[in-house]
Amino acid sequence: MRAVIAEDNPLLRDGISLLLTDHGIDVVGAVDNADGAVAAVYEHRPDVAVLDVRMPPTHTDEGIRAAIRIRTDRPETAVLVFSQWVETSYARQLLADDTARVGYLLKDRIVSTDAFIEALHRLVGGGTVLDPEVVRQLLSAAAIDAGLARLSDREREILGLIAEGRSNVAIAETLHLAGRSVEKHVSAIFTKLDLPAADADNRRVLAVLRYLNTHR
Amino acid sequence: MIRRILLAPVGGRTWREFGYVLASLLPAVPAFALALLGAVAAVLSLFTVGLPLLVGVLLLARVANQAFRWPARIVGWHWPLPPPVRRDQGRLRWARAVLLDGAGWRALLYCFVTLPVTALAAYIAAVSLAVGLAFLTSPIWWWLTPTGFGEIDDPGWAGTWLYVLQAVGVLLVWPWFLRLLVSLDRVLVRALLEPSPDRTRIAELQTSRALLAADAATVLSRLERDLHDGTQARLVSLGVTLGRIRHRVTDPEVRALVAGAQETVADALGELRDIVRGIHPPALDAGLPTAVATLAARSPVPVETAVELTSEPPAATASTLYFSLAELLTNVTRHAGATRARLRLAEAPGCFLLEVTDDGRGGATLDGGGTGLAGLACRAAALDGTLRVDSPPGGPTAVTMTLPKEG
Repeated sequence: MRAVIAEDNPLLRDGISLLLTDHGIDVVGAVDNADGAVAAVYEHRPDVAVLDVRMPPTHTDEGIRAAIRIRTDRPETAVLVFSQWVETSYARQLLADDTARVGYLLKDRIVSTDAFIEALHRLVGGGTVLDPEVVRQLLSAAAIDAGLARLSDREREILGLIAEGRSNVAIAETLHLAGRSVEKHVSAIFTKLDLPAADADNRRVLAVLRYLNTHR
Repeated sequence: MIRRILLAPVGGRTWREFGYVLASLLPAVPAFALALLGAVAAVLSLFTVGLPLLVGVLLLARVANQAFRWPARIVGWHWPLPPPVRRDQGRLRWARAVLLDGAGWRALLYCFVTLPVTALAAYIAAVSLAVGLAFLTSPIWWWLTPTGFGEIDDPGWAGTWLYVLQAVGVLLVWPWFLRLLVSLDRVLVRALLEPSPDRTRIAELQTSRALLAADAATVLSRLERDLHDGTQARLVSLGVTLGRIRHRVTDPEVRALVAGAQETVADALGELRDIVRGIHPPALDAGLPTAVATLAARSPVPVETAVELTSEPPAATASTLYFSLAELLTNVTRHAGATRARLRLAEAPGCFLLEVTDDGRGGATLDGGGTGLAGLACRAAALDGTLRVDSPPGGPTAVTMTLPKEG
């Protein structure tokens, strides 16, 4: 796997580079600003770009804008955006068109190095990664949608894990449930949300989008 | 003492005061006309039609106050302008405030009385000076003109020295007349144009408080930046290093220790995030509408959000609106027993308006314990805003906060 890193704090930039290298990921570019990140993606065509949200010059949402540009111009590159705090509107902007190969995590999560590396692999494999905190906030607000309001607490919890990009097997492990009962809950969620019985992965994405869209 | 009396005619003060009375005639004449117009408007106000005219006259009287400050600089007088009438509560209230505003009326009264005083002072000064100088030099004139001062009333060359004596008297006395009238004007300025000490003090306090509020907002915002870019980055970096260590060792005991340390770092980061959210919500940097949307999204009770802002409020105002909204939404969840809420952030003339309504059980009061509404009222008052609570028992509850656009 090849990665480009954009992070303006040198300490973190070096730390993440070394961490990725330790795990056999090839860091082909490490820059400190958003424009540099987009340029590096064009030049090196990496599998994944890891971007900090707040970078020079304005220290506001440069990372998000760079991520959106990369997704438009080079959709085959997965994008993982790091934020210093939870901002649901950023998540919405990122996931607006397509949820494949997009991730949005709190910076804190890098500390759980194994989960972080695993998230990168999931992204490059075409998955979605959402920070649990983002999901929690989106979920707590979601009751306005009639379909979402019908969900039980357990179903809500499971939908949260789906939104984080977990598979049924992973969900069963996390909640200490049998795989069969997770499947049952998931199909109950799809029914309550009136999602078409197309392929299962697509329905999972649609369910997540349903959350994100209620508050747009 | 005698020296002072003798030197008064050539003293700098006398000439400055002379310059002052001449210069202040310039604004005094139109100001007098304004005062007359004001009298007409006051009479017409009995039939309502004069009221707008009276408002205009009172506003112009404030402008006249400003104009009178220019000649006053010659004699070294300076006074602060009375604080402007607040215009943040709609046109009618503003007009009413202008009509009830003491500073405008006092300025108008000054417009009326100053012309007689300054005109008299200028007249006396100019005539005394002209006559005094002419008489003082009369022996020379007599000598220069071959026919003397004419045949009828010729005092003779020796007689002109009597004129000189009179001239000396006049020239010695006129500075004191002038000084008397200028002092009278000074008293009038003090009484009618200068803001009263209380008003001045209030204006000073308002300014310093606005500065303090803005400063506090800046400091908190910088603190947030420092914590995120410094402390948070270092903690994350520490966590990453711990992760790399764990990746390299095989001893299960060491791995467990390192994993524990990693968890501690993660906890510290979580606490740091909560602290930062309490002092300066970073979401505010992305603009108040975004921050409000994030708050609403976080609320367990569904919130219908309407943000209608055309301008971004100043930092102190935005932060007050943000924290108040957070508190109000907490109330909705905790006390109201509501199933849904609505929030509206909008602009009214001259102020920002935050409105939170819910369908809960009502009965909220400003002094009710535990709801923090009293604290919110203080927050609003700190920026000259208001908090209104409308919450009959049984609901619904509506809380409205208004904050003026300029402090």
